[in-house]
Amino acid sequence: MDHHQRWRPTVNEREFIERALQSDLRVDGRRPFDFRRLKILFGREDGSAEVQLGDTRVMGYATAQLVQPYKDRPNEGTLAIFTEFSPMADPAFEPGRPGESAIELGRVVDRGLRESRAVDMESLCVVAGKHVWSVRVDLHILDNGGNLIDAANIAALAALSTFRRPECTVGGEDGQQVTVHDPEVRDPLPLTIHHLPIAVTFAYFGEGNIMVIDPTYKEEAVMGGRMTATINSNGDVCSIQKAGGEGVMSSVIMQCLRIASVKAADITSKIKNEVNSYTSAKALQKVKRLPASALKKDNAPDVAMKESSDGALETQSTKPSSDGQQINKEPPSVVEDNKQEDVEPMLSECNPEAQSESRLTAGGSDEMQEAISPKSLKDAVKPKHKRKKKQHSKS
Amino acid sequence: MEKSRADGRNPNQLRPFSCTRNPLDRAHGSARWAQGDTIVLAAVYGPKPGTRKGENPEKASIEVVWKPMTGQIGKQEKEYEMTLKRTLQSICLLTVHPNTTTSVILQVVGNDGSLLPCAINACCAALVFAGIPLKHLAVAIGCGVLEDGEVILDTNKAEEQQLKSFAHLVFPNSRKSASSKEPNQKEEDSERGLITSITHGVMSEEDYFSCIERGLAASSRISDFMRTTLQKQAPGDV
Repeated sequence: MDHHQRWRPTVNEREFIERALQSDLRVDGRRPFDFRRLKILFGREDGSAEVQLGDTRVMGYATAQLVQPYKDRPNEGTLAIFTEFSPMADPAFEPGRPGESAIELGRVVDRGLRESRAVDMESLCVVAGKHVWSVRVDLHILDNGGNLIDAANIAALAALSTFRRPECTVGGEDGQQVTVHDPEVRDPLPLTIHHLPIAVTFAYFGEGNIMVIDPTYKEEAVMGGRMTATINSNGDVCSIQKAGGEGVMSSVIMQCLRIASVKAADITSKIKNEVNSYTSAKALQKVKRLPASALKKDNAPDVAMKESSDGALETQSTKPSSDGQQINKEPPSVVEDNKQEDVEPMLSECNPEAQSESRLTAGGSDEMQEAISPKSLKDAVKPKHKRKKKQHSKS
Repeated sequence: MEKSRADGRNPNQLRPFSCTRNPLDRAHGSARWAQGDTIVLAAVYGPKPGTRKGENPEKASIEVVWKPMTGQIGKQEKEYEMTLKRTLQSICLLTVHPNTTTSVILQVVGNDGSLLPCAINACCAALVFAGIPLKHLAVAIGCGVLEDGEVILDTNKAEEQQLKSFAHLVFPNSRKSASSKEPNQKEEDSERGLITSITHGVMSEEDYFSCIERGLAASSRISDFMRTTLQKQAPGDV
């Protein structure tokens, strides 16, 4: 339909934004090389994360299933990024077919993550040539405030960092039988992530002599060109995307890369901190769960282990009730007290004492830290001839 | 006599509800509605000029887009879209903006049972925040019937697997008259009709009526919550 249109600035708005930029002023009051405020929230389920970069919101959700591997890579799992611009984010986005920019976004995130071998694929292999884990990351664009690529990239990293796949063992007579263990029986395993490739987007204005970082949707509508550099905290360049637009001097590009590597280090530490506090809060929940279920067992000996499957709900106070038919007045009124304001149920904050406690008790969080500790690209990417040899010998 | 449920609630107890006003910047109105761990984000754009082919141009039309957490939308999601569209059509004043389209987009953020009722509540709140003219609010509740005929409200995912059958019911909001000090609850409730009823599985007539009875009682609690949420958070209204 023709009334679905991208936001277009008026002539005056365009001129205002450009004039202000000439004297290093941006419409939202930032300096040219400031990122907007980054906020990462996690859902109750492992592998779901919501990223807010200023007004831009992206939700990432990672899932996995056992599949047959590709013939040319029998001992590697797969990672796929799915993006679709939801009409929720912008009236210009149409449901159904992904547009040009949706495909570009998906490809940039995919190249940065998969082709730089940030996630270890060989550890996702269960039986070579038969069963491997296929990890799928869905990126939902919820609100388009500009610079979707950077936000989507962070959402994908946050989702993958908290994702846990069920543990499975190989057994049976022929040694090919795969048993997938219930997450309640055996703790699910995190992915091995070698490094976090961070996308940093620059917008160019004028004849390519003015540049800003992390453009808003208003700046995106005015800009003459854009470049996204994906860099990890070690300074390795994982991908650079500049699809046409205004030509930019190579010296400016070098400057951009230097700035990007500083920003990448900032964002990496931010993601790691958030992930750590989430995992330690999660571990704490597990510790808390035990006495609760033990207590329940005393009261009703026939209560099965079921109880532990809903850790979050157990923290809810159980109100003894006497009323039969009438609806319990308690829950709505309780809700009104504390949920009136902007409630963020996904926010994973834990108090300092809880954090220190969990570090002592939970081994899981330490493991996590190790798993996402920075390693250079060289660890992730094997020399090409070695890989080839392996494939030949297998096939 | 009262059996408590796996998560410690009694059969009539609802999970904690929460509603966030306009979490999204670009949408004309949006709401994040949570019932326990079931969370749905709804965004409203509109009214935009023109209706789609096949819609009545003398009335406003509503389009609903459902976004699941992962994967493509299937038949069930299509059914949800259809149910939502018809439910919303019945609560909106369609003649105020003829020949316009209002889009409602839903994103599932967390699914722990009673997904459709949560989505309907989210939509309704988002429509209010977008300022779309409504006749009244719609309040949805999920009722489940256990094997022994007991009815439980606001079912979660673990409970939904043990149910014999379940009904998703939508009621108009309870009326609040300013004049009478003590509103006659019984009389008031009987005036409120059922907007939508989606049932799955076999249930006896008695079970169905007991679902409606309990659902109606619960819906007035939810509509109280919705009303206070909408009133408190509207900064322009005094």
